[in-house]
Amino acid sequence: MEITVKDLKFTYSAKTKSLAFRALKGVSVNIGEGEIFGIIGKTGSGKSTFIQHLNGLIKVQKDAGSIVIGEYDLTDKKCDYRSLRAKIGMMFQYPEHQLFAETVEGDVAFALKNFAPELSDGEIESRVKDALALTGLNYDLIKNSSPFDLSGGQKRRVAIAGVIVAKPEILILDEPAAGLDPKGKREFLELLLRLHKDFVKTIIIVSHDMNLVAEYCTNAAVFADGKILSCGTPKEIFSDKSLIEESGLNVPLTAFLVEKLKEKGVLIDCDLTVDGFIDGVCRALNLKGE
Amino acid sequence: MRDVSFGSYFPAKSFVHSMDARAKILIAIAYMVAVFLVSAFHFLGFAACLLFVIISTITAKVPFGLVLKSVKTIIFFVVFSAVLQLFFNRKGTVLFWIITDVGLLNAGFIIARIVLIVLGASLLTLTTSPVELADGIEGLLLPLKWIKFPVHEFALIMSIALRFIPTLIGETDRIIKAQKARGADFESGNIFKRAKALIPVLIPLLISSFRRADELADAMDSRCYAGSKNRTKYKKMRLTYRDLLGVLFVAGLIVGIVFLNKFYLLSGLSVIAGAL
Repeated sequence: MEITVKDLKFTYSAKTKSLAFRALKGVSVNIGEGEIFGIIGKTGSGKSTFIQHLNGLIKVQKDAGSIVIGEYDLTDKKCDYRSLRAKIGMMFQYPEHQLFAETVEGDVAFALKNFAPELSDGEIESRVKDALALTGLNYDLIKNSSPFDLSGGQKRRVAIAGVIVAKPEILILDEPAAGLDPKGKREFLELLLRLHKDFVKTIIIVSHDMNLVAEYCTNAAVFADGKILSCGTPKEIFSDKSLIEESGLNVPLTAFLVEKLKEKGVLIDCDLTVDGFIDGVCRALNLKGE
Repeated sequence: MRDVSFGSYFPAKSFVHSMDARAKILIAIAYMVAVFLVSAFHFLGFAACLLFVIISTITAKVPFGLVLKSVKTIIFFVVFSAVLQLFFNRKGTVLFWIITDVGLLNAGFIIARIVLIVLGASLLTLTTSPVELADGIEGLLLPLKWIKFPVHEFALIMSIALRFIPTLIGETDRIIKAQKARGADFESGNIFKRAKALIPVLIPLLISSFRRADELADAMDSRCYAGSKNRTKYKKMRLTYRDLLGVLFVAGLIVGIVFLNKFYLLSGLSVIAGAL
């Protein structure tokens, strides 16, 4: 499903003038199917407000632009949010804070029972099993434990399983790697790539980690003060010096190295992924990159 | 969740905002006493109370809409008590169906009383930040130290509770959204179904409050918090001419109502006598 957002505006506490706060001031963006789309920007730039619009957690205000996702028109009052949310998975920061059920199985099955009440117990069980296996947990060992007895890393995995169990086509993640140790973070990102090859077609990531954006995202948008300053590939964004300055972001390590090498007189034109950078360096050294 | 108006603070610089919290609490209590002093069906007394609220609101530079919004929160309660009076009061003469004149007057009387009290209370919380409010209550309870009442600890509990209301509202908002994203439905079904739908919100909320309490205790410990002993205050409360004016104002209201009660009693009787 393709996401088309046109001139989206949003005001918090719109009814009380003295408390009103304009979080979005006209955001237009197109996110195609198959993309891993990064959303970057400082705290308070409107990123969270924007992504919460995408699955109808925040409704589009009157005369405040439009959002069309596949066949869903979110400005339409009759929009079926439940079936929309079944197709768009959303994972907030610290998803383990949403755990509530007595057993891991119950918690993971929650979304499934909401979105697809027609499924039989056997089907639910096998879907839950698959989701837990994807996150690297053993269903038989863990299904009857209380989610609150698990370790932090396991809780996070259970929470992730609780979102992907519904097999969303679009997955939206708000600071997905926050609070994970390096190993956990790597495993989580590998999981995302695996999901992206499987049933998740589009991934939208809000992140402050520029290395993550440069490595994984096909496209990204820079938010500042409720607007999109720039939209393009990580390479386009991070090589625009004035943009980086204006938005107050830092650059990924690869972009930093490219810049440092330029100062030494070594010009490298490459993608900002680690592999792309290595290729670029090898080309500059007239070596054959592998 | 964001629209909870009752008990919220409206920051502004005004005469009322800069009054001493202790004085404001006492004035609010005196005002409520005044509302209760108005004897039955002497609506002129209520008019005086309303005038008091209006003048206070203007001097406090608080939008009228915000003050009135607090009534919205308790509208069910107001309507419920009024309806009880209307249908179950058997005194007086029947006007139509089962509604009597005394029932009608009683309903109006009760509505006016509840609304006026809520207006006064919300004006207090709109002009006094939670921290000031807790400090004020602590100041007023200080004499209880004589009977070994842990005044400081009590005030601390209160200010922590007040401080965490917005935090918990934010947290609730987040959890609701997270569960909605997983297809939770809070809007449809009968009351039991809806109550059950809240479980996925309440349990994470409970757990996160325990976590927060733990963290807060650690943070206080690491700053060597040791209770009320030898503890000084960053902001000392001071009574000023403003507080005196406020006290005089509310005293005037009480005197006025006592006076109206007497005066209106006579005129009220004469009206009834005239009708007879």
